[in-house]
Amino acid sequence: MNKNILTIILCIILLGVGASWVIQKANSSHDIPVIKDVPPFLFTTQNGESFSENELKEKITVLDFMFTSCAGPCPIMTNNMTHLYHDYTNVDEIQFVSITVDPKVDTEERLKQYANALGVDDDRWQFLTSDIDAIKDLKKNGFMLYADELPRGHAIKFVLIDPKGRIRKYYDGTDKASMAVLRNDLNYLVKEIRS
Amino acid sequence: MNTFRTFSFITTAMTYLLIFVGGLVRVAGAGMGCPDWPKCFGRWIPPTSLDQLPDHIDPAKFNIVLAWIEYSNRLFGALVGLAITITVYLAIKHFNDVPRIKWTSLTAFFLTLVEGWLGSVLVDTVLNPITITLHLLLALVIVMLLLFAAQEAYYIEKQDLEKLSRYPKNVEWMFIVLAVSLLLEVVLGTEIRGGLEMIRMENPSVDSQFLLQMLGPFKYIHTLLGFFITGLSGLLWYKLVKTSMNPSQIISQSSTAILGLILIQIVMGELLVFFDLIPLIQLFHMWVASWILGLVMIQYSAWKQSQLSYE
Repeated sequence: MNKNILTIILCIILLGVGASWVIQKANSSHDIPVIKDVPPFLFTTQNGESFSENELKEKITVLDFMFTSCAGPCPIMTNNMTHLYHDYTNVDEIQFVSITVDPKVDTEERLKQYANALGVDDDRWQFLTSDIDAIKDLKKNGFMLYADELPRGHAIKFVLIDPKGRIRKYYDGTDKASMAVLRNDLNYLVKEIRS
Repeated sequence: MNTFRTFSFITTAMTYLLIFVGGLVRVAGAGMGCPDWPKCFGRWIPPTSLDQLPDHIDPAKFNIVLAWIEYSNRLFGALVGLAITITVYLAIKHFNDVPRIKWTSLTAFFLTLVEGWLGSVLVDTVLNPITITLHLLLALVIVMLLLFAAQEAYYIEKQDLEKLSRYPKNVEWMFIVLAVSLLLEVVLGTEIRGGLEMIRMENPSVDSQFLLQMLGPFKYIHTLLGFFITGLSGLLWYKLVKTSMNPSQIISQSSTAILGLILIQIVMGELLVFFDLIPLIQLFHMWVASWILGLVMIQYSAWKQSQLSYE
């Protein structure tokens, strides 16, 4: 009998050791690769303030390219982004940036209305515009995203940028599971900053 | 007959291990390790590198470690499913005339199919908290049924085991209340965990002590029900071991083990509250709960056997 109990205890210890190894592996698997720096740019926000790559520093940024009159996948993307914006209300380390790919239509005024309609009442979510060539260049060469045939051919990616202004990861902005991954990664980066 | 007994015990043990692996998936946060079901990233063997991903799946979802943790749960689940199928086959073959063995095994088998389906729902709903709880609850019911079938088969072979023991007659309700309370306690426990995750999503780095306070009444219900369970299993121990005539070894050992494990549960629960939500302890806290449920089933089966031989 004693021998049986000993075997059981030994098995449990082995399971415990195995499990903690797996948990540790899982935790360290959240390490997010560094892809590249966001190049310098100077755009304007919906409030007419200037916004450059320096505003990406000291904060974790989720960034996407959109335009307000888009009817395709954008509503889903905007919806996902809005959820993130509201869920992370108390997390000052995270900001959201949406850059329009249709600057002709999306004036500062229009972007401001759009932001208001989404319930954006602080500066955690900025809507940027500039001239179309600068936007195209930043999108194509800075973020390595498809940028032909704008505005219709805009990408559906969310880009995660770390407090050093480096691109860390891309997510499918229309997909629920990708949003779960993004949340995990955000929480991970916030923890990293705060510790 | 012997084959059935051996096989059903092995199947039960495997199911317990599967519950452990399932819990591991949960504490490792690997539930969405494979975004599709039953395949993983469109493959029967999960990809080992990015270029194996099919085009329609976003590479950002790919985390090889999480994929393999999740997939090992599925693979092992399939294996256990197979073992349960064989157990049912053997049950029908050898115990077609013993309804309680045949039907318990068959129920376990059907619930296993439901369990597999629930696994796919989990992935579809991106880990809906209610589905997670159901997934665990069903696993616990399945393991109890398997255990019951195995033990009943054991008693058919060794009919004299409970012959000399006389237990109080009117305790059946205690087993039922105890089992139901334990299942409820597990639900409350997973709700605590689920609730914590929801709060944590919005407050990623608030410390766990504070998080637990934010949960409010849930935590206290879990504790209160814990007290109730402790009292009830203490009473049952007293009735079965102290006031019975010749309690069998199975009864006295399982009754004592339940009390011992409850003590361990209390210690682990307090550790989780007062220190940190250590994933490994969370995992064992859930797993030991499944053992206690199994032991209550063993107690019940033994008690029932003695009542039958008494009549």
